[in-house]
Amino acid sequence: MYIEDFEAFYQQSVELYKARPLETRYSIKFRHSEGKLVLKVTDDRTCLKYKTDQQADLRKLERITSIFFPLMACGELPAEGAAGVEAGQQQQQQQAGGTQAAGASSKKARRRG
Amino acid sequence: MVLLESDPFLNELHKMYDRNKSGTVWVTMKRTNMKPRKSKKPNPKAEYVCLIRANDGKRHISTTVSATQYAKFSQSMVIIMKGAMADTLKKKEKKKDKQ
Repeated sequence: MYIEDFEAFYQQSVELYKARPLETRYSIKFRHSEGKLVLKVTDDRTCLKYKTDQQADLRKLERITSIFFPLMACGELPAEGAAGVEAGQQQQQQQAGGTQAAGASSKKARRRG
Repeated sequence: MVLLESDPFLNELHKMYDRNKSGTVWVTMKRTNMKPRKSKKPNPKAEYVCLIRANDGKRHISTTVSATQYAKFSQSMVIIMKGAMADTLKKKEKKKDKQ
């Protein structure tokens, strides 16, 4: 069943996964020759599909893929999974900020030298 | 089906997208404990991981990602996919008539 609205597809597919985490699979099909991308989530009872050919929709691909990774790797609820991802990003940002600060201070040190 | 480590899998996935400029690539993800389905006693302690498979109709590759590794892998995989798909997908049509 194709769903036109991405938000509906996103929510329904997460619900589908939560109902049967061990039987649900998420699949990304890309047909180069037609430039067509199809996302599919199914538990062999219900099949949800979303189809696009727009480059801008790659953001949606990124969004749904990055929610299914924590769901499938940890088996946790999306709230916790999403929080984990955000926390990880914040840590990375902090680390990046720290390295930048370190770089700046080393530059200053060089100038002083 | 070749089960690879995560980095070789990403390399192979990249090549697979490159090879199939006129074909189709499927990528499938599911949660599994990698045990045969027929085993009678389900083991509650079995470790569950995320199994990722890729297939172009000729070759199949797969890898598993555990709860500790997924963040980095997920980012890399999305970057590869976006890179492979960006050129082929249509760009948003700009509205010519400004009102």
